Amino acid sequence: MKKQIELIRNIGISAHIDSGKTTLTERILYYTNRIHAIHDVKGKDGVGATMDSMELEKERGITIASAATFCKWKNHEINIIDTPGHVDFTIEVERSLRVLDGGILVLCSVGGVQSQSMTVDQQMKRYKVPCVAFINKCDRSGANPSRVIQQLREKLGHNAIPVQIPIGLEANFIGVIDLISMKAIYFDGDNGEKVRIEKIPAELMAQAEETREKLVDAASIFSDELTEAILEEKEISEPLLISAIRTGTLTRKMTPVFMGSAYKNKGIQPLLDAVTAYLPCPMDVENLALDMDNDEKPVILSYGEKDPVVALAFKLEDGAYGQLTYIRLYQGTLAKGDTIINIRSGRKIKVGRLARMHANQMEEIESIPPGFIGALFGVDCASGDTFVSPGLNLTMTSMYVPEPVISLAIVPKDNKAQINMSKALNRFTKEDPTFKTHVNEETMETIISGMGELHLEVYIERMRREYNAEVTTGKPRVAYRETITQMAEFNYIHKKQTGGSGQYGRVAGYIEPISDQEFVFENKVVGASIPTQYIAACEKGFKNCLQKGPRMGFPVTGIKVVLNDGSSHAVDSSDMAFQAAARGGFLEGYRKAKPVILEPIMKVVVEAPTEFQGGAMGSLNQRRGMIVGSQDEGHMCSIEAHVPLAEMFGYSTVLRSLTQGKAQFTMEFSSYKPVPKNVEEDLIKKVAEGKKHVA
Amino acid sequence: MLKKDLILRNPLRLIEHETEDILPEGGFGAVLSRAGIGKTAFIVQLALNNILRDKNVLHISLADPVNKVSLWYEETLRNIALLYDIKPIDKLYEAILAHRLIMTFQVGGFSVPKLAERLSDITEQNIFRPQMMLIDGLPFDDTTYDSLSELKVFAKQHGLHVWVTIRTHRHENESPDGLPLQFTGVSDLFEVAIQLQPEGEQIHVNLLKGKSIATSNTQFFLDPATMLIKDSM
Repeated sequence: MKKQIELIRNIGISAHIDSGKTTLTERILYYTNRIHAIHDVKGKDGVGATMDSMELEKERGITIASAATFCKWKNHEINIIDTPGHVDFTIEVERSLRVLDGGILVLCSVGGVQSQSMTVDQQMKRYKVPCVAFINKCDRSGANPSRVIQQLREKLGHNAIPVQIPIGLEANFIGVIDLISMKAIYFDGDNGEKVRIEKIPAELMAQAEETREKLVDAASIFSDELTEAILEEKEISEPLLISAIRTGTLTRKMTPVFMGSAYKNKGIQPLLDAVTAYLPCPMDVENLALDMDNDEKPVILSYGEKDPVVALAFKLEDGAYGQLTYIRLYQGTLAKGDTIINIRSGRKIKVGRLARMHANQMEEIESIPPGFIGALFGVDCASGDTFVSPGLNLTMTSMYVPEPVISLAIVPKDNKAQINMSKALNRFTKEDPTFKTHVNEETMETIISGMGELHLEVYIERMRREYNAEVTTGKPRVAYRETITQMAEFNYIHKKQTGGSGQYGRVAGYIEPISDQEFVFENKVVGASIPTQYIAACEKGFKNCLQKGPRMGFPVTGIKVVLNDGSSHAVDSSDMAFQAAARGGFLEGYRKAKPVILEPIMKVVVEAPTEFQGGAMGSLNQRRGMIVGSQDEGHMCSIEAHVPLAEMFGYSTVLRSLTQGKAQFTMEFSSYKPVPKNVEEDLIKKVAEGKKHVA
Repeated sequence: MLKKDLILRNPLRLIEHETEDILPEGGFGAVLSRAGIGKTAFIVQLALNNILRDKNVLHISLADPVNKVSLWYEETLRNIALLYDIKPIDKLYEAILAHRLIMTFQVGGFSVPKLAERLSDITEQNIFRPQMMLIDGLPFDDTTYDSLSELKVFAKQHGLHVWVTIRTHRHENESPDGLPLQFTGVSDLFEVAIQLQPEGEQIHVNLLKGKSIATSNTQFFLDPATMLIKDSM
């Protein structure tokens, strides 16, 4: 498999929910001859889109796991990661972005830049992924690409420049005008597979010329040659203009905008041309690894075929072919029979079968060249692991993993379900770092935690379908925290004399709130009033208190302990005694430091037709939501609010019934804030009841 | 205690009397300047001054999205806190959020009946009851007088203090009475008008109409770096 790296594109397709990502991918696969029939998301034929291979995905019409697939377009090999749009699966999106070189930002021509578009755009920014924008659904009533371009500029700060203009809109949308070649493009045939290039219709000529002038002007910033050509009033050649736009796109200083309608098979082929023309090949992107032998110094990876292997496992899948690990090669060539090392575990792995995946179909290959995405079989690893050739000690930069905010108790129905459930949990936690599980020692229940209701719901559903594990679930629980609000001193003596050797330790100091860290311990003891060997025991004693806060048993965060005095006894002092003293000191200080309960507050954005604005605001207000603002966007409006997670359970149903199903909302974690007094009292009651129940 | 500190020390008290607003209930104030001089920064400070005194402010923007308006508040408050060395800023900002609501409209989509409808949506459900209203980015043309008169009636009914920003243009001459052209046609609706005038490196805050700001003849400026109001350069 001899490959030229310049002809490779690793791209992702990111967008707001229901902007048509999966439909777009489906069309791309059709035009690149990867599939021979088009099936739609929630299609009437019941087959479902090719990329949504999970049964659950087909049923709900959403994409849950990002499947990697590849296709060929005009000599270029394009690897596509279909990323999920729902915010609960953010980690999937983030993970895909880590291995991508470029992206297509899909926007709905009616909805425009919606809340989720902002989130994915932020993520693209974080990983510096260059992108082109595609305004989809130009055939829908209310389509307005120029408004979307305006929003791209205003809301996302993109230097969005149209490279096409639509021919007709809404029901009259029939094609696009390419401003680079200055030709009209139409899409004929049953599935738009025949591209017909014609002259620009006379009535659109003036608009096309004007928009092209703006395009050339914007692109000239990135090319001296182009600027010269403009100044000398020379003919501007297509390659010159394309190369200037490419430079602008790669540096993320310009976002070329394309338009079409995936569902109506229009505008996809020019978009594929754009992917090959403007998005980077792996060589264009600088990828860094951290040298573990050299104080984590960043190392630039070479993309040399003969260099030692550096690869990143970005996704695990347990499918019909056994365990699959999706990897991206950053350097070297990985071939069958090679030996590689998993940096995290230090384990040696012999490479068995290698494959390229096309959604749920597989194609076996001999080797994976640098810059490529492929899959390994039967390798035991977690996602995010780095694989290297023996002798190297590099790790790819770690990925940002948010802490889970919601948890749920699950109980298996019977013994068989219990076994299957643990298998499933084992798999899921490896696949998804935001999904965590533990056993509550008091109730002996299995608790799963994640980023939102839907996130957990999907895993429970997968447990049932893929692992045949029937479980009953408790009510979702919010991850509360405790903290203190003021400084308080402690001075505690732990003394026990009950026969045998006694216990003695005294600790004194103060605790105070801090905002940016969970726990800080500072030793300011002078004159060895506490012998140095017991300081670590004191720190351990304080730290142990954090797991279960004295007020209501929630984890304690944002606390600084300063130890400045104490005393010991030559015989009776021990590690144990000082740990106990620290516990006592902590409790003493904590009570005086005005402790409060913190709850996770979510940033909620509701998008609804304007006539439902009042109702939607009311529903957020009832949920202790604080409304930040409302944005009027013609016939739609979006309301931004900060709402406690505890109040958001079941909100999707409420919102749906309130707005005749016309509104949608997204939610992401914002911050932890103190719980109001009355809510705290209810919480205390609930916790007390829970304890009684356990007893 | 934190808030009190700021009320006492923030530069806005220079512009508005501590206990008394420059505008009566239902009164209109205008902030005029060319683009990019600091109209938004100025009205955000007026808003903060009221919010700190626990008054509810409705900020209507016809130009910027909600996030951008929020950023103005955050930045302005941070600058004030920095100037007076007040910490922690995030708690203060939290306290402010409850007294502020941002509404954005598309320029063409804004009308007084629409505003009234939106406002009744929120007041009837007891979500928010504004006492002060800021309108930023309202275009001034031939139809403005009618809609402003309508707004005046509305403001009187609801006891609102209203501040409006007006963008003036460099190339246009002033009218014979010395007022910017955009303002002359509507000036009878306004009780107070303040103009931000850049002169050299300074931005002067000039009173065009209304009772004198503060008690003395102090000249006010906007600090070009932080956009904060101050009484000396």
